[in-house]
Amino acid sequence: MTTSSNPAPSPAIDVAGVRFSYSDTVAVDDVSFSVPPGEILGFLGPNGAGKSTTIKMLTGQLKPGAGSIKILGMDMPGQREEIQARLGVCFEEKNLYLSMTGRENLVFFAKLFGVRDFGAETLMERVGLSARLDDRVSEYSKGMRQRLMMARALINTPDVLLLDEPTDGLDPVSAIGIRDLIRREADRGAAVLLTTHDMHEADDLSDRVAFINQGRILTVDTPDNLKLAHGQRAVRIRSHQGDGVDEQVIPLDETGAEDRIREAMSADGLMTIHTEEATLEDIFVEYAGRGLSG
Amino acid sequence: MTGSRIAAIIRKDFREFSRNRFFVFITLLVLVAYVAVFWFLPDSVDETVRIGVSNTILSTDVGGVTESGTAGFALEIYASEEELAAAVEEGRDGIVAGISFPPDFLESAAAGEASTVVLLVPAGLPAEIELLLEGAVAELAFGLAGVPPPVDPITEAVVLGTDRAGNQVSLQQQMRPLILILVLMVETFALSSLIAIEVQQRTAVAILATPVRIVDFLAAKGIFGIGLAFSEVVLLGLLIGAFAVNAPAVLMILLLGAVLVTGFGMIAGSYGRDFMGTLLVSMLFMIPLMIPAFGALFPGSSPTWVMALPTYGLVQALIRVTADGETWSQIAPSLLLLAAWGVATFVAGAFILRHRVATL
Repeated sequence: MTTSSNPAPSPAIDVAGVRFSYSDTVAVDDVSFSVPPGEILGFLGPNGAGKSTTIKMLTGQLKPGAGSIKILGMDMPGQREEIQARLGVCFEEKNLYLSMTGRENLVFFAKLFGVRDFGAETLMERVGLSARLDDRVSEYSKGMRQRLMMARALINTPDVLLLDEPTDGLDPVSAIGIRDLIRREADRGAAVLLTTHDMHEADDLSDRVAFINQGRILTVDTPDNLKLAHGQRAVRIRSHQGDGVDEQVIPLDETGAEDRIREAMSADGLMTIHTEEATLEDIFVEYAGRGLSG
Repeated sequence: MTGSRIAAIIRKDFREFSRNRFFVFITLLVLVAYVAVFWFLPDSVDETVRIGVSNTILSTDVGGVTESGTAGFALEIYASEEELAAAVEEGRDGIVAGISFPPDFLESAAAGEASTVVLLVPAGLPAEIELLLEGAVAELAFGLAGVPPPVDPITEAVVLGTDRAGNQVSLQQQMRPLILILVLMVETFALSSLIAIEVQQRTAVAILATPVRIVDFLAAKGIFGIGLAFSEVVLLGLLIGAFAVNAPAVLMILLLGAVLVTGFGMIAGSYGRDFMGTLLVSMLFMIPLMIPAFGALFPGSSPTWVMALPTYGLVQALIRVTADGETWSQIAPSLLLLAAWGVATFVAGAFILRHRVATL
């Protein structure tokens, strides 16, 4: 008789006690986190928090001063080339070749990855750029360049995606398309590390979020757990009261909250009902003592 | 795999270069302009000093003197001293000065009496030419009168640098290394600009996030830079006839020159912050690097500080092969000097670019 078990999948990204300094300034200090395959980890922090430095260490650009980075079970930077062959990176800066067309950019990077048949047309269609495939990138708008960056990150069908502000500069419709693409990549099994300033994006997209501030990870958890653990859940009910408007905020964690809600909803003059919960921004402020912007 | 990645980067660089209108324009302009300048330059040197002589009575005798082998002089006869003076003043017939013998010169010489010979020189004539003319007067007087000059000094000239007496290098030949080096310098700027764009737009970071190693990246830049500079300078060399003598040696010199300027291109590209910044840094290298080539236009040895410049070996090797027809063994010291500078500069350029890319 044999027994079967489902052990937790080994993390695609495993960062342990990593530290990096620029001369005397510590940019990343004892950072540890892991991302299993198929998960999206939102990396949240203000400018200068250490997000980009962490990503640079993950891409092999920077060598950590201490700690270890394992990607797909391989050591970075020790097995850099092997890792990079399975890594997709979308940088914050739009580092594309402007004098080349979208197709030429993709073909060039496909050659660097050693990928022969990657389907430029299909890839560009996925990011909504198929009609501009053979236009020079210098003629692309900022949002189109961002989408091409995303397409480039997917050339090698990566097992690990490192996305630095992937929806920056996109209009809301395009941003939704890119978020959908990221979600599908995670569903395919790719581990995704996503840095963003957009709290709603992080909340909407991330399976877990990591707060980073002054080079240190403050917490790593799911957005729901963080919201449950911090701030209060409440229902805000507004109703007409004579010539004025009455507003009640009923905390859900209080005793008798359900009765109060039922009562308020059955009263005459009901105008609106809103659920309220702490935002990731609120929770970040609680952890870091500062906001995410700036 | 590494080879195909390097090849992909080189092809990409070439595509970017060929799509940059400024680079293409400047490359073609430089080629056409330098070829035109080269072929307009005189390709021979007239080593004869033309001197005007007056007094028709002496015409025949003076002609005899010329035929008897007063080397280095060509005499032009004028009917009168006035006509000679006018010719000297206007620089007519290519004469640099005039000698007017008195009408009773032969009689005075036969009688052993001193007579005055007038030397007509234009303002600003170099002192050494004036001295030369005084010697020429004595020589002519001796030839005409048959009386030896009172002094017959033996002069031993100390020639600084290569003795070109009787083997003058034409301006065209002198300009050849300068033109070739100028083209190499232009390609330094093109390469440095391409590298600066790669650094500034951080596309280098995107390349290095793929399985491309930094060594592959540097190799691609090096090969592209050397290939670009070498192919253009070889094309120009063909157009200005630089391969007429010892073509393999000239090719080797130009190849080492291309390695040298590629190293400087990588350094300039690493430090240039934008187009103007790259241009400025490139110019800082270009100006001193062209000094040995300009120095070759003037006779004499180069000062020690010029010999210390990286392009000195390049210029010397080129001149020695193309103008003097020297062999491999004769140019070996210059070639070794050039190779040492080329390798040192290339390694320094690669090191600096590596550091620059790593800190992006």
